[in-house]
Amino acid sequence: MADPAHASQTPGLTIRSLRGDAFTLPAAQVLSRSDFHLAPPRSLRLPIAPMRAPVLQVGLLTSPPQVNSFSFPRSSVPAALVPRRPRPAPEAVAPETRAAAEPATQTTQASQQATPPDAPPKPARIVPPRDVVKLSERFFFLLQPDLETQLHTSQLDFPRTPFPFQLDGMAFLMPRHGAVLADEMGLGKSMQAISSLRLLLRSGGARRVLVVCPKGLVSNWVRELGDWAPELLVTVVEGDPGRRRWLWSLPDVPVKLANYEMVVRDREMVAELGLEFDLVVLDEAQRIKNSSSQTNVAVCELKRKRSWALTGTPVENSADDLVGLFEFVAPGHLHQRMSPRAMGSAVVDHVLRRTKDKVLKDLPPRLNRDKRIELSAQQRETYRRAEEEGVLRLAGMGREATIQNVFELVLRLKQVCNFDTATGDSAKLDCLEAELDEIHSSGKKSLVFSQWVETIGRLKTRLSRFGALEYHGGMSTAARDEAIRQFKHDPAHSVLLLSYGAGAVGLNLQFSQYVFLFDRWWNPAIEDQAINRAHRIGAAGAVTVTRYLSVDTIEERIDEVLRRKRDLSELILSETGSPEASGLTVHDLFALFKLPPPTRAAAA
Amino acid sequence: MEAEIADSTYGFLTAVESATHGLFGGYLLVDSVGRPLEFHCTAPVKVSRAQQILYGTTLPGHLHGRQIGATLLGEGTLAPAVVLTDLEAMLTVRPHTNLPVVLVRPAGAGGSAEATFLVGGASVSSGGSDASLQETLRQHLETLAITVDLSEPFGRIRAAIEEAQRH
Repeated sequence: MADPAHASQTPGLTIRSLRGDAFTLPAAQVLSRSDFHLAPPRSLRLPIAPMRAPVLQVGLLTSPPQVNSFSFPRSSVPAALVPRRPRPAPEAVAPETRAAAEPATQTTQASQQATPPDAPPKPARIVPPRDVVKLSERFFFLLQPDLETQLHTSQLDFPRTPFPFQLDGMAFLMPRHGAVLADEMGLGKSMQAISSLRLLLRSGGARRVLVVCPKGLVSNWVRELGDWAPELLVTVVEGDPGRRRWLWSLPDVPVKLANYEMVVRDREMVAELGLEFDLVVLDEAQRIKNSSSQTNVAVCELKRKRSWALTGTPVENSADDLVGLFEFVAPGHLHQRMSPRAMGSAVVDHVLRRTKDKVLKDLPPRLNRDKRIELSAQQRETYRRAEEEGVLRLAGMGREATIQNVFELVLRLKQVCNFDTATGDSAKLDCLEAELDEIHSSGKKSLVFSQWVETIGRLKTRLSRFGALEYHGGMSTAARDEAIRQFKHDPAHSVLLLSYGAGAVGLNLQFSQYVFLFDRWWNPAIEDQAINRAHRIGAAGAVTVTRYLSVDTIEERIDEVLRRKRDLSELILSETGSPEASGLTVHDLFALFKLPPPTRAAAA
Repeated sequence: MEAEIADSTYGFLTAVESATHGLFGGYLLVDSVGRPLEFHCTAPVKVSRAQQILYGTTLPGHLHGRQIGATLLGEGTLAPAVVLTDLEAMLTVRPHTNLPVVLVRPAGAGGSAEATFLVGGASVSSGGSDASLQETLRQHLETLAITVDLSEPFGRIRAAIEEAQRH
């Protein structure tokens, strides 16, 4: 390259002159004699090439890249350095959950739960939904630890370890303003909702929550809230208008609980009080599927930031059911002229539905749940009188009281737990009827067990719209066979009412997905036999077993004794392999009423 | 930037290569149970072929250490007790910061010339020879590892960077 500056700095080269477009060098510096025949020139004039070679400019990596920064509030909840745990192996028996409904005709799955048997379950992470638009808010969710770690370090106690799919359900609900949790009955929708609202309340994401449920499930919600969020103050809105006004306006109650009828009735009162909720949860949300119903209008009028709906049957009859539901969940999201396909894709980010066969495929397909029922006011009064009178009588008999005397009292009290002898009231039946309604609409079958033929008769009358059939020892063999045939083959008959005595053995009813123990037998082994009519090899899927227990009654006391014995029995059985479970002894029966054990003669 | 000392804060520093955009850097500050406190991410840095030739073997150190690492650490308003990275190239940020930076890899992954110790199932290379500093770092990391899988927050950073690209 003809570069004068370069040349001048090169050792041995001296530029004699630099003028215009040429520079002159002493020829001797660049030529030798052999280059010329004559005398060499004294100097050599070299033109500077008019053309410049292209120069490549390579930028250096000097300026720092642009940085986007986000900061997040420190949690006000102190964290605990609790050791990490591996995700739990699925338990043999599902948590006691209040189940809600049956599979819908449309299945919308927002997340896939199936996990290869050998793969460790993926931790549940909160994924921001589509309606969270701001990047900072999306990062807030994405950058959180997995849900299990959050629960673990937030010092939140749970009565039992949630299943991985339940953690996934919580991760689905928590970030969403509009959500439908449409899990199949028995997967614990209410537990997932309670745990999610608990976390929201803890994190400051919500301060005022309203839960709306059917009247018959209010006491169940109170109990579930007590189990899964024991630190939360819960108020049930009930009573006369004056009391309700006061309850609605209580400022420092994080969770208010009301039934649908109450929300409809107090519509104006709620508006007048200017109540606003951070979260409204609807249980059995299919109640609002009819857009023009008073219930739909009343709940849609509630001022709220978040709207969660729990239902096992988001679509009962037609796709329009979903339109009604979404008027609450995400107003304007759906309209009635949408095709089912368009509707499905429009709601995919709002609906999470899991079925037992998807999430419980690797579990023994039996879900046990104890359903604690509050007696109606009249039942409670009848029960109280019967117990007081009976115990007084037994106490008066002293050690002469016989096992027969105690047994009679137990039976009498158990009967009151089923039906008020004076009025015929039955809180259990109210609850059973609500549950069967949903099961029936999904085309599935239920077995209902009772120890009394008389109870079965009453149930049959009340449950006639489900085509309830009876099966007990008072029927001829032919009549019983015909009942089984009808139950098995006729979809109009979705309920079979059985006595423990006749129905606990010898029947193969594994096409039934639900078993209800309307009252309890004395011995868990007999109950197990009854349950195993449905829960046996060949069962099409998980079987949900619901055991009704009247709160604060002899039923709870018997259950406690049997449970203790079963725990002990299982402890022992794990060593011996003996299949037998223990029932009540004479001593157990007397202890139910805190009576001294009978003399040997009386016991005999 | 002067930052307040917060012993219960931990930093996670990594970079994500995108074939189309270049190299993104992410720096996540968490509390002792892994809850996010701050997040900083860079715009992508795209290196040309000429720059690759020009920088030669010094490129990874310059890119990860000075360009991305030092820039991100400078943005933090909290001073973590320790900065963890899962990229060996990111250790070149050490000359540009006073914060201790350690390399975290699955136990048994091997390959580091530095002295390593095991914490919570992870292999930690801390560099340096100050025994008391090593012990302090080990204590910090052992505290963190009680509740946090030391390699898990890097996944969160990657998810956030992916989200940023979609946004």
